[in-house]
Amino acid sequence: MKTLIKTGLSILCVWAGTAWGAPITFNTALPVHEGGYVLREQFIYMKIADDPTPAQRDMRVSGVMSVLGYGVTSDFALFGMLPWFNKRLDMTMGGEALTRRESGVGDLTVQGRYTAFQRDTPGRTLRIAPFLGVKAPTGEEDARDGFGRLPPAVQPGSGSWDALGGAVVTWQTLDLQIDGQAGYQASREAKGFQPGNVLRIDASLQYRLWPRNLGADVPAFLYGVLEASLAHSARDRIGGADDPNSGGTTLSITPGLQYVTRKWIVEAGIQIPLNQHLNGTALRNDYVITTGFRINF
Amino acid sequence: MKFKTFLQRTAIAFSLMLAASGVLAAPLSYQLRVDGLACPFCAYGIEKKLNAIEGVERVETNIKDGAVIVIMQDGFTLDEATARKAVKEAGFSLRKLEPAQSVPNAGPR
Repeated sequence: MKTLIKTGLSILCVWAGTAWGAPITFNTALPVHEGGYVLREQFIYMKIADDPTPAQRDMRVSGVMSVLGYGVTSDFALFGMLPWFNKRLDMTMGGEALTRRESGVGDLTVQGRYTAFQRDTPGRTLRIAPFLGVKAPTGEEDARDGFGRLPPAVQPGSGSWDALGGAVVTWQTLDLQIDGQAGYQASREAKGFQPGNVLRIDASLQYRLWPRNLGADVPAFLYGVLEASLAHSARDRIGGADDPNSGGTTLSITPGLQYVTRKWIVEAGIQIPLNQHLNGTALRNDYVITTGFRINF
Repeated sequence: MKFKTFLQRTAIAFSLMLAASGVLAAPLSYQLRVDGLACPFCAYGIEKKLNAIEGVERVETNIKDGAVIVIMQDGFTLDEATARKAVKEAGFSLRKLEPAQSVPNAGPR
């Protein structure tokens, strides 16, 4: 369970702050113009279930991810991301149905991205941008209900300072855009719990569906999007020992649509797991629905 | 001198004076070839940066050709270094700047 939540949410942490016609679930190397801002709001609904144990755990997470990007220079951009979660865990214990839930602001992630390589030619660009960030424990990580302290997966925050880093490559033409990213999130221990580190490899293809032919102006683009994500999570550690029911590898795809104008983008996608190799009784991810918009100013 | 000839010469001289004073002159405009421009969201940053240059009347982008037309207010010109800096700040590359065909006067968009 914790693994799936963590892997799912790492989607939102590692991409932190896309600016242009970027993938839905991760980052891009395209620039934020100097002195400019990009605001992104994403609405997430995640279902994690298929519990093989008698507990029949079923977890649903809805949330809003707010990202503000700022172009310090044309090569270096800063991103701040703050999520808000509503988490609900239904399970059966001793024949009784049990619900544990919590909502609140999650952990703040601040990330810097630097364009290390840029090659522009007419109607196309190739860029490579490493990024580095830190996640601060701004979210509640000690929430309780009538049964005691909520499990880490239901807490809005992690309680730990975590680091993340990686690199993203983008190749964009007038017809299509290809992005690839490798990212790693290292988590630290908080209150006896240390989530396993997460390695993610992402790829995305965006293809202009409309307009088919470009005129002498700047029309809005409708992109069809297909993204793939391979996420590997190490085992969590509880009280200094590995949790055998945590960690694993998930391969998922995200088909989606994006409508891109000069000033704003609206987008929607659904992430579906293709293959999950999870340790022990970890829950399987059912799907993640993502909708959102971005504004350029 | 016949009166008709006098009128013709007067009209020609008057036209030349008006042209020289800029009354009949169209505002200066430039065509920027911008490399790396490949989506509508990209165009916003370039137009914002170019519009911030003093004397720019308006900016028109042709994404298909990677061309950006900058129309100046009367009495203003655009030099390549200024244009290059604006395009660079938007995150893209200026390939070249050249005078464009004159465009009719129009208000800002």
